[in-house]
Amino acid sequence: MTRKHKDRRTFLKSVGGTATAVGLAGCAGLGGGSGRDYFKLGAVTSLSGDLRFGGEVTQRGYDLWADTINEEQGGIEIGGETYEVQIEYADAQSNPSTGADAASEMINDGADAILGPYSSNVTLAVCPIMDQNSMPHITGSAESPQIWQEGYEYSFGTIPTVSIIGNEAASALLNLEPQPDSVYITAVNEPFSVATGDSMQAAAEEAGITVENYEQFPRDTDYTNVVSAAQNADPDLHLHGGHIGSHVNLVNAAEQLGYNPDGFLMHYGVNTGSYKDGAGAQAPYTFGATVWIPGVDREGGVLFDSPQAYADASQSAYDTAPDYTQAGSTAAGIVFQEAFKELGAAPPLSQDDKDELIGILEEIEVNTFYGDVAFETGGEYHHNNINTQPLLIQLGEDGSPTIVGPEESATGEANYPVPAWDER
Amino acid sequence: MVDIGLFTQIVINGLLLGGIYVTIGVGFSLAFGVLEVVDFAVGEYVMVGAFMGAVLAPLFGAEGIFAIPIVLVVFFALGALIQPLIHHVTTGDRPHPLLMGLVFTFGLATFLRGSVLTIFGPNNRDVPSSLLTGGVAVPGVGTFPVVRTVTAVFGVTALVVFMYYLYRTRGGMAIRAIAEDRTNARLMGININRYQSIAYGAYAALTGSAGVFIGMTFTANPGMGLQYTAFAFFMVVLAGMGYLPGVILAGIVLGLTQSFTAVYISGNLVLLVLFAIIYLVLLVSPAGILGKGEWAT
Repeated sequence: MTRKHKDRRTFLKSVGGTATAVGLAGCAGLGGGSGRDYFKLGAVTSLSGDLRFGGEVTQRGYDLWADTINEEQGGIEIGGETYEVQIEYADAQSNPSTGADAASEMINDGADAILGPYSSNVTLAVCPIMDQNSMPHITGSAESPQIWQEGYEYSFGTIPTVSIIGNEAASALLNLEPQPDSVYITAVNEPFSVATGDSMQAAAEEAGITVENYEQFPRDTDYTNVVSAAQNADPDLHLHGGHIGSHVNLVNAAEQLGYNPDGFLMHYGVNTGSYKDGAGAQAPYTFGATVWIPGVDREGGVLFDSPQAYADASQSAYDTAPDYTQAGSTAAGIVFQEAFKELGAAPPLSQDDKDELIGILEEIEVNTFYGDVAFETGGEYHHNNINTQPLLIQLGEDGSPTIVGPEESATGEANYPVPAWDER
Repeated sequence: MVDIGLFTQIVINGLLLGGIYVTIGVGFSLAFGVLEVVDFAVGEYVMVGAFMGAVLAPLFGAEGIFAIPIVLVVFFALGALIQPLIHHVTTGDRPHPLLMGLVFTFGLATFLRGSVLTIFGPNNRDVPSSLLTGGVAVPGVGTFPVVRTVTAVFGVTALVVFMYYLYRTRGGMAIRAIAEDRTNARLMGININRYQSIAYGAYAALTGSAGVFIGMTFTANPGMGLQYTAFAFFMVVLAGMGYLPGVILAGIVLGLTQSFTAVYISGNLVLLVLFAIIYLVLLVSPAGILGKGEWAT
């Protein structure tokens, strides 16, 4: 009996001891302990689900920043020591609630800061988590104006809101000669795409152009019906807000039904490989909006010397040309890097360090290959970088984009009105 | 005031969309009727077929339609190989054979989607075919998009061929006998495994080929499968479980409902209306619109 008790006691002691050791080891592994010799960033993005294409774009952007600074500079220099950057990813599965869970997991995992999701709806779910946990967060994507109107204190964004991008790109298109009299606007019913449609509608109304209809529909709709309704209205231009799959379906249905407005403006992503590969022969002549392409006229910058140097690095690392979302994601990393340097605190960052980092981010101005990044403080664009110039681009016969507006930034003439489908 | 031109175009759109659904529904209904398998992988067969079309089209001068014979053969072989596995998990001492089949094909669907994502990445892929571009405008009626029309014709033709095989040949009689009563069919000397493999192979071949057409109509995308799985379920419930001739009517009902709801009510309400129809059919006529399928239990 005694022996049995003793055995049980020994057993319980050993279990308890093991549990404590595992718990302590776990805490150390989660980054809760001191002495970590690298910056640990969490990244929540859509690595699966409908928006995985964009999720991979942001991942390439974040990774290219981390790999470049680690390889070229050994990491971020703080007080004479260099600390490597490590990014740990969590899959939002293109789903806001999963993204929010993933963000909480990253915070509990002891991240020093968070790099943000691809899509606006996931970002809108993640931002409140960042404020609740006082965790610095910069997203290199996500363009819905709602994100910035909420006035979140711990979230920042390097890409201007689509209410600016969509509006200015549409305005540039509406100024081309011959000036259109009417437009037809469509948008996929999700926060980013609706915001895009809204911005296009605002641009048309500001220009005094008739909006024949502004139609919203779900992502998996049959586009022949959308096109038939638009064709019946016979507009001069068709403006569309959505992600790449919806653009492809729209132009395919337009070609099949012989719907020929003078041009299609699509946002987001007409200069991505996914759009060009998906739309095939229908891709040329499409108008798109962007805030950055490799050919943009700009020199200098932290980490990458020029837009072309960045594009070359992307081509070398991933065998793919970067778009503005990838560039904005890399810029998000660069901004964190410069803010960490200014903070001067070695990792892991304490809560006081993170709070101080927010003040630094609000004041920071960083010259990057992507553009000068500085965040608004207050107003409807609180913590959004709105310094980058929106551009109107058009795909050529070979699928390469040319900047065709606004006039002061254009590098080529628009092919407008675009040829009818059967004349291409 | 209803615009007549738009109205007739919406009818055309709905009928041709229904034709696309028929191409998927035929095989799915056959698989359910003969094998009693609710195949969750149906949408992924469509997706893999579309990607095969994208890969093979360049070999035929960017004409995806010429890839279809290859896709038919490859998918038939694939189906004939997969069917014994499904048979294995849905027979013997295993409880809930229908559920086992569902879980197995769900796993298969996940595997196929993951494989395509790994091999091709998340990008869209065009399935080109210059022979099937544009549309034929009929004055006073509307425009018939060539690729959608050919797809619908393919679906209806496949249905007629299957019907002929099932009701006019000895092989078809054997398959119907298996669907009616496996034990008695075996006692009559019918090689059940062989005919089930043929039926599942034919279903896979048809669905993979439908994928090439759907790729030409829309685009190939690794995430496209789930949508078609959902519509295949709709089709089978509306047609009547396992009742092949009901597939055409189910496709037409689905296509027209989708088109008219999108244009005259709201694109946002399409799924709500479709689900409402499914619920009504299940409540009022569980054996499908024509009342000739198996009861949905």
